[in-house]
Amino acid sequence: MKALLLLGCPEVPSQTPMAIYAIDKLTDMGYDVTVSSNPAAAKLVKVSDPKKYYKHENVNIDNFLDQVEGSDFDLILGFVHKDSAATYFITYCTLMTDVKAIALVFQRDSSLVEEYAQMVAQSTDAEIIKSKAYHNPNPIRVSLDKALNKLKEENNN
Amino acid sequence: MSFCLDNYLQQSEDYEILLSQSGFKECAEEIRKNSKEIVHINPGEKILGIRLIGVPPIPVGINQDKKTVCITYTKPCNGTSAIELPVEQEDIDEILMKNIDYKR
Repeated sequence: MKALLLLGCPEVPSQTPMAIYAIDKLTDMGYDVTVSSNPAAAKLVKVSDPKKYYKHENVNIDNFLDQVEGSDFDLILGFVHKDSAATYFITYCTLMTDVKAIALVFQRDSSLVEEYAQMVAQSTDAEIIKSKAYHNPNPIRVSLDKALNKLKEENNN
Repeated sequence: MSFCLDNYLQQSEDYEILLSQSGFKECAEEIRKNSKEIVHINPGEKILGIRLIGVPPIPVGINQDKKTVCITYTKPCNGTSAIELPVEQEDIDEILMKNIDYKR
């Protein structure tokens, strides 16, 4: 199975630890993980894992849009914490038809969480997980765990 | 060589930024206000050498008299900007071909 992890702007402090966490979880579930991001976000993940323990492939978020149509991914997991992250996630989902999609929406302001979740809900069939969190990754981790446990059950059935 | 918006924005100055580093909704509204003709394009469609990023249907403004188009331009860290830039007639024709209103 193949999973695409879509990262947003790395200025949100929870993104990099959650990316490492998601790569680990998805790998344990049997996914080969590809991380799509801008160079700054990729660099933060790379520096956080000097021994390359968390195996994944890196692709550029803009260039990879040329290749996702008709690709054989089984899952797209997107971190949605900015307006631009929501638009990238929606664009990837539009090109990757019939792929299971999960949007992990997080921000410190609950009105922004609702706004981004609504953007995604109006334009995709993605499962949306919401967390009011910014510096503290734990609420996001708990939400992601629930979604991945549900996905594990779906994959087993 | 075909038009590439990323290169154009780096190398040229004859484009106008209608709204800078904002949200998609605000930029879409700015495009509607500044364009004589609006067409709608699906996210991920390639026009002017880039894939359009956004919430469907993405408005693209066309000003045939000035030979300009108004589009949204999104980057992960900079958000979305609305820009107006001069193009060739063939670029306008390419955009019209991808108009989802027309396809309906």
